Amino acid sequence: MLPLRALVMPRETCRQLSSSEPGALTILFRYAIWLLLMPPVFAWLGAYQFGWRLGADEPLMLPASSLALISAGYFAALVFGFVSTALISQWMATTYGANRHLGRHFAFVTMVGAPLAFASLAHLFPHVFLNVVILIPAMMWSMYLLYSGIATVLETVPERGMLMASALVGWLLVAAVSLLGLSMWLWVAGIGPSLGV
Amino acid sequence: MAAVYEEGISTLKAVQAEIYRDKVVLRLVQFSIVWAIVAMGAGVYISAELLWPWLDFGQPWLSFGRLRPLHTNGVIFGFGVSALMATAFYSVQRTSHVSLFAPRLAWFCCYGWQLTVLLGGLSLLGGWTSSKEYAELEWPFDIAIAILWVSFGVVFFGTLVKRRIRPIYISNWFYGGLIIVIAMLHIVNNLALPVTLGKSYSLYAGAQDAVVQWWYGHNAVGFLLTGGFLGMVYYFLPKQAGRPIWSYRLSIVAFWAFVYTYIWAGPHHLHYSAIPEWVQSLGMVMSIILLAPSWATLINGIMTVSGAWQKLRTDPALKFIVLALAFYGLATFEGPMMAIRSVNVVSHFTDWTIGHVHSGALGWNAMITYGTFYFLIPRMAGRPLYSTPLANLHFWLALAGTMLYIMAMWAAGVSQGLLWLNLDETGELRFNFTDIMAGMAPYYGLRLLAGLIFLLGTCLMAWNLFMTIRGRDPVEVSAPDVDPLYEVKR
Amino acid sequence: MTGMSLHKKLEENTGLLIFGILVVSAIGGLVQILPVLNQESLETPTGSTQPYSAVALTGRDIYIREGCSVCHTQQVRPLIAEVERYGPYSRSGEFVYDRPFLWGSKRTGPDLHRLAGKYSDDWHRVHLLDPRSVIPESIMPAYPWLEHAPASGVGDIQKKMQVLQRLGHPYTQEQIEAAPQQLEGLTELDALVTYLQQLGSAVSREEAP
Repeated sequence: MLPLRALVMPRETCRQLSSSEPGALTILFRYAIWLLLMPPVFAWLGAYQFGWRLGADEPLMLPASSLALISAGYFAALVFGFVSTALISQWMATTYGANRHLGRHFAFVTMVGAPLAFASLAHLFPHVFLNVVILIPAMMWSMYLLYSGIATVLETVPERGMLMASALVGWLLVAAVSLLGLSMWLWVAGIGPSLGV
Repeated sequence: MAAVYEEGISTLKAVQAEIYRDKVVLRLVQFSIVWAIVAMGAGVYISAELLWPWLDFGQPWLSFGRLRPLHTNGVIFGFGVSALMATAFYSVQRTSHVSLFAPRLAWFCCYGWQLTVLLGGLSLLGGWTSSKEYAELEWPFDIAIAILWVSFGVVFFGTLVKRRIRPIYISNWFYGGLIIVIAMLHIVNNLALPVTLGKSYSLYAGAQDAVVQWWYGHNAVGFLLTGGFLGMVYYFLPKQAGRPIWSYRLSIVAFWAFVYTYIWAGPHHLHYSAIPEWVQSLGMVMSIILLAPSWATLINGIMTVSGAWQKLRTDPALKFIVLALAFYGLATFEGPMMAIRSVNVVSHFTDWTIGHVHSGALGWNAMITYGTFYFLIPRMAGRPLYSTPLANLHFWLALAGTMLYIMAMWAAGVSQGLLWLNLDETGELRFNFTDIMAGMAPYYGLRLLAGLIFLLGTCLMAWNLFMTIRGRDPVEVSAPDVDPLYEVKR
Repeated sequence: MTGMSLHKKLEENTGLLIFGILVVSAIGGLVQILPVLNQESLETPTGSTQPYSAVALTGRDIYIREGCSVCHTQQVRPLIAEVERYGPYSRSGEFVYDRPFLWGSKRTGPDLHRLAGKYSDDWHRVHLLDPRSVIPESIMPAYPWLEHAPASGVGDIQKKMQVLQRLGHPYTQEQIEAAPQQLEGLTELDALVTYLQQLGSAVSREEAP
């Protein structure tokens, strides 16, 4: 299992990846899809069972259908984020002298996203602060994998890898904030919690 | 005969050679670092007050409402403007191949500015405030700032006028934009009738005052915190990368688009307020368009640095600049997004705004400045940085601090926005304000931690740079010859 | 290439560059600000909006001095949830005597625009001196120094009113003459409470949503 291996022995995994040429779709449907399914499923289960706890005492309960819609949107956003990140990474590869094999980029993004996907277990109890506290270290772990693994997996010099990783961090930050903005937009449009706007 | 002629020419050149005036630059850098520590320290303190309100010890001058303007003014005008003056003076000499025009006036700017920020800061603690954000200082300080700003302009443009190289380099346009537009904004927004030394009434009232204030407030961010610091990027990034800017033409287009578009975006601070609807809509549309020139510059920066990867091995400064560009990308995307009315309706008035400001202020402004200082000081000292490992540690502290800060504020802001507006099945408000506010304490705790981490990094840098320059004056550098092709013919 | 050659002139001439930046950056401001400054409806008071009394004006200046607007907004947006939580949404005509405006940009504490009459004077006094004695979760600073400072010490009230008169606030000569007397014996706390108790009172809850 690529994602688990990435967590337990990142260096080893990186080295193996650097000598393989996996198919992009193979990576997507064999490994990545499960990671991408985890957060929305956990989020649905948690919100259905316990409701959103956003800091106030009383949890915010949403009807199951509404939750399903939100989770479906969450899944779609994650798939979009995953594929676009891999494509952008491939697009950047020329600039930073990295390997351009698409499957390699899919595998690398899968590996980097693994800590976050597993940390999404915290969604099972959707208390925002709990999630923040668990997801921030997971995110740092992901960033560590990104910065330390990129040069090996994508076969470039460490310095150029550092630049490429920073460019990807820029993109991922933008993607993350877009997810926030998109959620607001949907809520205001009447999908999700009822807002008095 | 020829040899004698050659010799004569070289003596003449030595006499003409101008030595750059870098002492004033160094002094401004030092002041800037002092302000960074003081003002960020104030920020950490007030973030602690949000957790433990008794921290003001019943003292008016330690009260949150008085310390917060000290934090913002100290960071923007103390740390930011000192750094901008220093880098403007440094780069305008080198891009013009002449020494500073009116060097005494430059010294006046340097010390006059510090005195103004210091006394202004104390006056804020004393309760002298106009309460307009980032323009809180009362009229005596507004006048002092105007005089100093004009002096800054005289030194800067005077140097440009006496330059020996024909084209005006792009970094100077951004510094020029900073000087001109901030002067315009500052004067128009601060027009007021004084009552006493510490009190005046604005020339504008109510909704009109709001429109003028956010025209100022948003563009102070635009032309000082964005445009000014882009000037820094356009000089120091190619310098550190050792290669020219990726696309000069793109930088020209981006500059004029930036200057034209930014000024329209202010009303997005006033969505759903009592100002005319068309002003809000215009502000929103122009804010979204603003993404284009902002990102054009981003691409230019990233492409310039991408060819200079060899430098990363030896230069800790470049890392800061690379990361600053990533956060610049985030902040300039997040801003337009939050200017969209249906996002703004949830994010407005929440801690998300605070997070957005800090993704720019910490991730972009502070990092780019730190990178520049790590570049400047060893060159001025004529010896390598005191400790590279310490600078690397600072890099990770700055990154961790910024990430933690913005994540905490994102979570807090989204929760606040959602809970404030949430209605139950009967259409009644579900949550009361006090409960929501009390629920924010954990995030405020995380934010305090983030601020401490970032401040610690800044202190490490101060120590590192102090040890590098200790006991030395700036190395004397004289202007090199100008390529005859680009030389100004007088 | 004409664009580039035009730009060549600009980038080789300091004066032209300054002029160019000034013109290009001024356009947006002129288009937005001039019409707003000339829009009469933004200068026309709503309903019973009056210039601040001597005491309320003093209270308002204390509100400014203590930086209350750093954490409290004074603008209720026209949203269902906000009107429900705070009261009728804010109208531009209510702010015509606000110099400067105090709408704020951050709600660390609740909005205050419709504060008038929500709590008693005594509640406000206790709350300002010791917020946590009435709201245990509150993180608002306490303002003990307001209790003993005389309201007349917050600047020359007559001069303030004269300045505002010059700016167009319709104070009568009698009002200005009577001002010091009205402040006599009052503390800063009294003045601030007076200001808070008339916040947003020009539009009543029954009148408008």
